[in-house]
Amino acid sequence: MKKTKLGEFEELVLMTVVVLQTEAYGVEIKRELEDRLKEKLSVGSIQSALKRMEEKGFLTSEFGEATQKRGGKRKRIYSATPYAHRILEEMKDIRTQLWSAMPNMATS
Amino acid sequence: MEEIEGDMEEVFAENLAQHSVKKSRRLYNREVLKLLRPALVRGLGGNHQLNYLGMLQHNLLITLRGFKRHKATFFINLIGLSTGLAASLLIFLWVNDERSVDTFNEKNDRLYWVFTNFALPESILTWNYTSGKLAQAIKEEFPEVEDAVRVGNHFFRPQGTISHSEKNFEVNGLFASSNFFQVMTYPLISGTTESIIQDKSSVAISESLAITVFGTVENAVGNTIEWESSLLNQPFVVSGVFKDPPKNATEQFNIVVNYQALIDAEEWAEDWKGGYARTYLLLKEGADAEQLNKKIASLMYGKTDNNKQSLFIQPYAKAYLHGRYDNGIQVGGKIENVRLFTVIAILILLIACINFMNLSTAQASKKMKEVGVKKAIGANRGDLVFQFLGESILLSVLALLVAIGLVVLFLPQFNEITSKQLEFNLSDFILPLLAIVLGTGILAGSYPAFYLSGFKPVAVLKGKVANLRGEEWIRKGLVVVQFTLSIIFIIGVITINKQIEYTYNKPLGYDRENIITFTRKGPESFDPTPFLTALRALPGVTSVGNMSGDFLWGNDNSSGYSWEEGDTDDNHLFKSPRIGYNIVETLELKLVAGRAFSKEMNDDESKIMLNETAVKFMGLKDPIGFQLEASPDDFKEVIGVVSDFQYGSLHQEIEPMLFRFRSSGDDFMVRLQPGTEVNTLEKIKTIYAKFNPKYDFEPSFLEDDYRALYSTEDKVAQLSNYMAAIAILISCLGLFGLATFTAERRSKEIGIRKILGASQVVVVKLLTATFTKTVLISIVLAIPIGYYFSNEWLHNFAYSIELKWWFFALAGISALLIAWLTVGFQTLKSARVNPVDCLRNE
Repeated sequence: MKKTKLGEFEELVLMTVVVLQTEAYGVEIKRELEDRLKEKLSVGSIQSALKRMEEKGFLTSEFGEATQKRGGKRKRIYSATPYAHRILEEMKDIRTQLWSAMPNMATS
Repeated sequence: MEEIEGDMEEVFAENLAQHSVKKSRRLYNREVLKLLRPALVRGLGGNHQLNYLGMLQHNLLITLRGFKRHKATFFINLIGLSTGLAASLLIFLWVNDERSVDTFNEKNDRLYWVFTNFALPESILTWNYTSGKLAQAIKEEFPEVEDAVRVGNHFFRPQGTISHSEKNFEVNGLFASSNFFQVMTYPLISGTTESIIQDKSSVAISESLAITVFGTVENAVGNTIEWESSLLNQPFVVSGVFKDPPKNATEQFNIVVNYQALIDAEEWAEDWKGGYARTYLLLKEGADAEQLNKKIASLMYGKTDNNKQSLFIQPYAKAYLHGRYDNGIQVGGKIENVRLFTVIAILILLIACINFMNLSTAQASKKMKEVGVKKAIGANRGDLVFQFLGESILLSVLALLVAIGLVVLFLPQFNEITSKQLEFNLSDFILPLLAIVLGTGILAGSYPAFYLSGFKPVAVLKGKVANLRGEEWIRKGLVVVQFTLSIIFIIGVITINKQIEYTYNKPLGYDRENIITFTRKGPESFDPTPFLTALRALPGVTSVGNMSGDFLWGNDNSSGYSWEEGDTDDNHLFKSPRIGYNIVETLELKLVAGRAFSKEMNDDESKIMLNETAVKFMGLKDPIGFQLEASPDDFKEVIGVVSDFQYGSLHQEIEPMLFRFRSSGDDFMVRLQPGTEVNTLEKIKTIYAKFNPKYDFEPSFLEDDYRALYSTEDKVAQLSNYMAAIAILISCLGLFGLATFTAERRSKEIGIRKILGASQVVVVKLLTATFTKTVLISIVLAIPIGYYFSNEWLHNFAYSIELKWWFFALAGISALLIAWLTVGFQTLKSARVNPVDCLRNE
């Protein structure tokens, strides 16, 4: 987790992007996360996380098609870079290792 | 942004499905406010980042395209500025070198040279030498003097041939006191400053001499050399080796002998009455030279019979550039040439810079459309300033590179003309050069950069350009300045060349062609009679004679004569060469009365000859047979009068002259039959070798020696020819560029005129008229200035040409012709153009 600086919320957004694949654009990500987290999110929080991760090189994006519903504005479809995949793997590994190293506290 | 807006719409639509329109709006607004986060909102400065590198590339491209499109202007500009820079750079190299002469001494700022002012009844002579006793006396008497050195003066140098293991070598050295190397900076390679030349049988030799004589420096020390000459006749031990004197030292020598050796040979060298030594003083730190100057003035009073010598000191290094004295007052010297050329260099640079600015601004006014378009697209003023300045700076830096190339290319030729060994060290000059070049670039670029960029784009594009009259005026003014300077140069060049020609061709009163002179070296006990007889017997020799001292330098003087007739000024210093038989005949001097010294009449030292001026000066009515009193009870009989001739260089006036007799002079003059010179010279050499086996035969033609007298003027003339040519070239380039420009701008006018029936002649006249006016104004301005400077320069000569009106007419007309020629091509071209071509497109 050294230089990656992937925040908790960012990690969630990133994983959602991976999950959603070709449908990964702003509102869709928001909807998916709201479902999973059971809480309301603002457009801004999602967008800023996306932009930040794009700058950090976790995401790439391209314009998708425009729909009537969006007032003729195009979607921006995000996809995770291989780098992001690797980082996600790493974090998962670290977590797993930590879990396995933990004394069995939860059960006691 | 687009995607966020889309998201917002989508969310709004979703909300609308669940909530009322009102609530949806409220929610929407809240979301919008929440969107205001640093990560999503762009910085305040403009909409986008300016691409500076891109602009730079773009500007460079535009500039290079501009160069390519206006090739003529580009090359004119480049050539003009770079030749100007190169020429002035060369001159500054020379000036720098002249200024550095003799400043190599480490203690240069404390080193002074003692001079003598010798009072004559009507004038004061200034000598750079003093008595040999002076150095010691000053050191003892004045506490502020740290050390004093005496060096044998110009006439008393250990010159001639030395030998080592049966081989002969030519040397030219100095007699110097033992502290010479401690005070003056001539670094030693071997030996210490305290230990060499401490006694009269030890010498120090230069590195190059050591290598020629002994092979290596190491071999030299401790070895001996043999010396056999009129002054020295003994073996010497080499006690040290010094580095060859630097190039910028006036004193060039390869051997140093203790002054004591000179005293042994000539007792006058250690006498208050002798003028045998140059005295150099090393003052203590902080000593006041002015103060010392006052105290030292009267030092010689009471030391000689006459109280006519007063002393003064001046910095050692100053003597080279400030070497001319008039009545005891410093009146310049080489410094005048240095100043002259500094001015020339600055003027050339000025002309070149003016040219550059002129053409750049002319070119730039064509860029008005460009400015308009750029501004309309959204360029701000700063960008335009940046572009135009960058363009002219780029061009000037290019010119600098070319100039440096030119300097490197022409330095060898320049060195030949100036007989110097200049080296070009870029690092010494790069800063001032860059400053000049950048300054020119910025100045030239500032007109388009700051003036044109201020125009309103609409006005420019509509063609409503502000009146450019003022600008025209400035441009014409600059051309006037250029041409004025060029015409002054032309006047100067004509004057200098005419004067030089005059000097070479002036009838001197004797025939200097086909005469060779040479000086016999070797022991004094030499009877020239058999030698002369042998020479005379040679078939190619017309006549031969001998005298004492160099005929052309004319520095053999004597005084103390008294006579009765006319006024009495028995202290007059007469030019008084000592000549042998046949000199008058050899030089083909004309006799006005009486006869020349002749062997048949057994003439000897009791006879004397005069020149006409001397006869007039003494007021003699019947000179032949007159008894002149040379010293009490020593009368000399005047046997002949020679018509006036130029003795010495033309810097000197013809003065009263006495010819004393001396049969044993060592300077020989031989008149050769024309056409047989080479052959005869060989034969003379053989005879010389027979009579004088150990010494070299070094003949020279009197004609060449005479020319050498004017070598400084010759150099000045040559250099100023080149410089004037460069100045004129640059001015013409500028004029050509401007003519092109004007013709181009007036092409529509010409077209219309031609359609309305103007002939080619009318068009040519029209275009030439403006330039003619400018050149005429320059001529009017240049003539008085040129007259003033030429006159000043001619005052240097005792016999000079008069400035004639045609010098100025010639300069003016040639300037006008050159201008017409330059402009002519361009005007003809534009006059012949089909009017349709220039009127077709708007």
